[in-house]
Amino acid sequence: MSTLVLLEGADDLSLQALTFARRLDTAVDAIAFGEPPPAPGVRTLHVAEVDGYAPQAWARAIAQLRATTIVAPGSDRGNEVLAHAAVMLDGVLAANVIEANGDEVTRQRWGGSLLEQARLHGDVRLMTVAPHAVAVEPAEGEPAVERFTPQLHDADLVVRAGERVDTSTGGLSLAEAPVVVSGGRGVGSAEGFGALEELAGLLGGVVGCSRAVTSAGWRPHTDQVGQTGTKISPDLYIPCGISGATQHMAGCKGAKKLLAINSDPEAPIMASADYAVIGDVGEIVPAITAELRRVRA
Amino acid sequence: MKLVVCVKRVPLTGGKMVLTADQRAIETRHLGFTVSPHEECGVEEAVRIVEAQGGEVVVVTLGPPEAEEQLREMLALGADRAILLETDGSEWDPEATAAALTEVIEGEAPDLVIFGNESADSGGYQVGIRVAHALGRPVVTGLKALALEDGVLRGQQETGDVYRVPLPAVVSVKEGINLPRYPSVPAKLRARKKPVERRTPTAGPPRLEMVRLVVPEGRGKQAEVLGEGPAAAPAVVELLQRLGVA
Amino acid sequence: MIVSALALAVALAVAGTLFARRALLLTRLVRMGHQPGIDRTGDVGRRLEQEAVVVLGQRKLLQRLVPGLMHAFIFWAFIVLFPAIPIAMIAIVDADAAPHWAWYETLANVFCVLALVGVATAFFIRKVLRPRRFEGSHLGEADLILAWIAAIVTTLLLYHGTDAQAWAWAHVLLILGFLVYLPHSKHLHIATAAINVYFGRTRSRGRLEPLDFDEEQAEEDMRFGIGTVEDLTWKQMMDAFSCTECGRCQDACPAFATGKVLSPKLVIMGVRDHLFAEGPKALAGDHDGAPVASRDSLEEMAWDCVTCGACVQACPVNIEHIDHIVDLRRHLVMVESRFPSEAEPMLRDVERQGNPWGRPQAERSAWAEGLDVRVLEPGDPVPEYLYWVGCAASYDDRARESARSTAKLLAKAGVDFAILGPAESCTGDPARRMGNEFLFQSYAEQNVATLDEAGVRKIVASCPHCFNTLANEYPDFGGRYEVVHHTELLAELVREGRLAPTAGDEEITYHDSCYLARHNDVRAQPRELAAAVGRPVEMERREERTFCCGAGGAHMWMEERGGAINEERVREAAETGAGTLAVACPFCTVMLDDGVKSSGRELRVADVATLLAERLED
Repeated sequence: MSTLVLLEGADDLSLQALTFARRLDTAVDAIAFGEPPPAPGVRTLHVAEVDGYAPQAWARAIAQLRATTIVAPGSDRGNEVLAHAAVMLDGVLAANVIEANGDEVTRQRWGGSLLEQARLHGDVRLMTVAPHAVAVEPAEGEPAVERFTPQLHDADLVVRAGERVDTSTGGLSLAEAPVVVSGGRGVGSAEGFGALEELAGLLGGVVGCSRAVTSAGWRPHTDQVGQTGTKISPDLYIPCGISGATQHMAGCKGAKKLLAINSDPEAPIMASADYAVIGDVGEIVPAITAELRRVRA
Repeated sequence: MKLVVCVKRVPLTGGKMVLTADQRAIETRHLGFTVSPHEECGVEEAVRIVEAQGGEVVVVTLGPPEAEEQLREMLALGADRAILLETDGSEWDPEATAAALTEVIEGEAPDLVIFGNESADSGGYQVGIRVAHALGRPVVTGLKALALEDGVLRGQQETGDVYRVPLPAVVSVKEGINLPRYPSVPAKLRARKKPVERRTPTAGPPRLEMVRLVVPEGRGKQAEVLGEGPAAAPAVVELLQRLGVA
Repeated sequence: MIVSALALAVALAVAGTLFARRALLLTRLVRMGHQPGIDRTGDVGRRLEQEAVVVLGQRKLLQRLVPGLMHAFIFWAFIVLFPAIPIAMIAIVDADAAPHWAWYETLANVFCVLALVGVATAFFIRKVLRPRRFEGSHLGEADLILAWIAAIVTTLLLYHGTDAQAWAWAHVLLILGFLVYLPHSKHLHIATAAINVYFGRTRSRGRLEPLDFDEEQAEEDMRFGIGTVEDLTWKQMMDAFSCTECGRCQDACPAFATGKVLSPKLVIMGVRDHLFAEGPKALAGDHDGAPVASRDSLEEMAWDCVTCGACVQACPVNIEHIDHIVDLRRHLVMVESRFPSEAEPMLRDVERQGNPWGRPQAERSAWAEGLDVRVLEPGDPVPEYLYWVGCAASYDDRARESARSTAKLLAKAGVDFAILGPAESCTGDPARRMGNEFLFQSYAEQNVATLDEAGVRKIVASCPHCFNTLANEYPDFGGRYEVVHHTELLAELVREGRLAPTAGDEEITYHDSCYLARHNDVRAQPRELAAAVGRPVEMERREERTFCCGAGGAHMWMEERGGAINEERVREAAETGAGTLAVACPFCTVMLDDGVKSSGRELRVADVATLLAERLED
């Protein structure tokens, strides 16, 4: 019986996954690819030599270590690698878990708007940890580092990340911005987003939108916050004229504070808001911008 | 070119999750249904490929009899035929789903199989990968751009990472790869006449067994109303300063 | 005499042949047209009534007194002077044989003078006053016709005065020339207007013509609105032939008034031009499928329309512009999937979630929380009135108030009513006005089944669009109910004393909803309610001349180009000096309230039901 956690790097999600893994098993090992990341509280950090990112190859390396409980961050790569590993080890995989107890786990459905209590049947259990569901806990102790070159099958390197195309439009990305000002149908038109852009600019943030806005053709899909768009975790999220459907809320669960601006005091988003301003988005947002400018002057 | 796209019927939940009395399903009375968003984009992508290069698009779903409604919607989008793996509406875990789909897909022997990155409801993130292994095909996930040229698939993810993989292959795509068309009424009428084949697969006991569903507690606090209309601006700015973002 | 007779015969033959050829083309075009989706031949009594009132009585023309009289003089002159034509012809052949009835000649002379007065007035209007409604019209053609008419009546006057055969010849030749020119110009309306008026709608003006999606039909035979010239109905062709380019519709159009591309006149002229350009090719079988929507700016104009019906109301020859515009939309939406993208979420939401706001049906009766409102469950006894709440009042925070007020008032008056709750889905009006007739029909059928299963007989609706669809359009899908608007029912309750509001002295101006006042003639009852709770003060554009709030034609979900229709209406309301703008429609509530906010005015916008409920608070 052993527990292995995949660490992608020094990022939050990896540290959250590590915290989760340590709760399952005080004697937890870790695996990483490339530069050894911080791994406090880990017994042995296995560093696998694989050229770049190839999900099946990474899974093969994990499988080689013969752990019975495997944890990874619930990132795109974490989910992908563990799915491959589950097949290789004939294991059962539960994605986006927030809690585990023996063979019972609590995992997210609907991007976190619903929880599932599930039982894992099988000798090998794999879990990815839902992003931002676990608070990082510090730990003492540096791991012993063991490098190895995994024994790969030919097919393991067929799918490998090649070049990386620059997709940034300049500036902060939606996923990284500390402040996100989003607009929904209540903004009224594509032009109406100008006011949101101004406010976001003043706050050092970026503009996002709801799915209705993308379907209406007002903003590109890259601006969409939601379960099937970008999942954000800003310090402050300001949804304007967004009713708060679950698929949208799934995208902004990670926000530390939420200020809702909406004309409807009974909109579903109010149930998830820390603060609210009731009224017309078209009037309120410019007023906030004007007031901000005034106090800064 | 033959493409198979796997889709799932999911409910359109609103602002609140309401469960059935036994807490093992969402109460879907009065809810509309749709194809899970990533998958609808997958069908659109497949149809565009076939419009450009010729071929056939087959849509497959594992679901209750009502899932025919979603299959007809995908046929209206431009798919040529559909296969309904009919269940009694109960949950199938990812492994059982993958096994049932694999059997159908093997029979079709497509050049490309398209999945959604994850289904909107259960979000298991693994069916596509399991099917790919069973078929012995390479699989690339999370694509936001896809191109086929001379038997090679070029896939690009959100991060910008580019993968090149020979066909036959399996991919999963994300919403945003395209904007699905609004089907014309003639297409909808024709869709009613396109073939929908029905089969009844069986499954063993689930290894990822759903015990019960739980609606997460809200944040447990009432939103603090800072004011109404533009008059609330000073209170908002004060909050922004307190939060350290202003 | 023989020579004259021969000459006349030749003239008649030539003119007759030229006229007949053109008339034959026009007839063949009309026969190529599809059948309209509603019956255009029944209700003969009312059709004849329209002939008497609109054609003989010139009533719609007389909506504007001076131009109306101008035309009436000329029109009545044509009728009175008709016998003068055969008399003149007889005179040409045999001067002695021609009848000379002094009383007739006097009458005819009077009408000739009236006609000249009319022509002079027309020239004055067109050359001196130059109203905007003629922008886009062919003024040269009109000048020619007016001069020709002047010449015709002048020659008759001269003939009566001098008895010289030459004037009779001149008169007859001018008339024959006119006859030949008539079907090549907008003066075709002389022949077609009376026919067009006859075949117009006699009742249920708000009812659009359904399309037939019967699956047994081959797809090529199905009509999806107006794509090419071969998709026009014969009624639409008659509309096109009857247009005189007078521009009254353009003047009345709220879209045109706020700087948009749409002019209902230009729509009909565009259809007409397309019909003449492509129709003959279609008859000859070598039509290349040129789309009607790509003529001039028809496609862009089609999207500006709010279906308010002001154009139809203004038209002196009862052209039904909305049918053309909606049919253009139908083809664009249902066949080409080409329409303003911001409306796509609305259509998807109606289709998948049963309402245009994409909110869950399960939350449809959340507005009724805290109120004692019965939700009808299957098997429940049917109430006297089914209160159809509508999507706007169910989900929109401002419109919700009118539903709450209406429910409270009905309860207070002891009316036996219930709502359908989550079983109520969109009537389909926004989808239908957008042009997605297919989606509309699926909801019409579903709602009729729901209502019939519940045994509903009477419905009260607080949204005029729901009201219009339930009352006028659902019968086409088997749904026959007694439908009233909430203002009608509330006014009745007030009259009967079942609701006794205390009178107030606040000045209230009532805005007529297009779908109530124009499409359905509900004008008095909301005013009764406004008068019961305050001091009414009227706007200039009221009742059947009301000015739209801008939400109709699915514009609640589309962006507006150009100036704002709602702000224009709010401006008019504010000018009355009233502090309250009363409405009877959830769309008007939202649009006008938006208009008040965006133009920074102080005006309270409230449904009459809410105002009434406030005056009943114990």
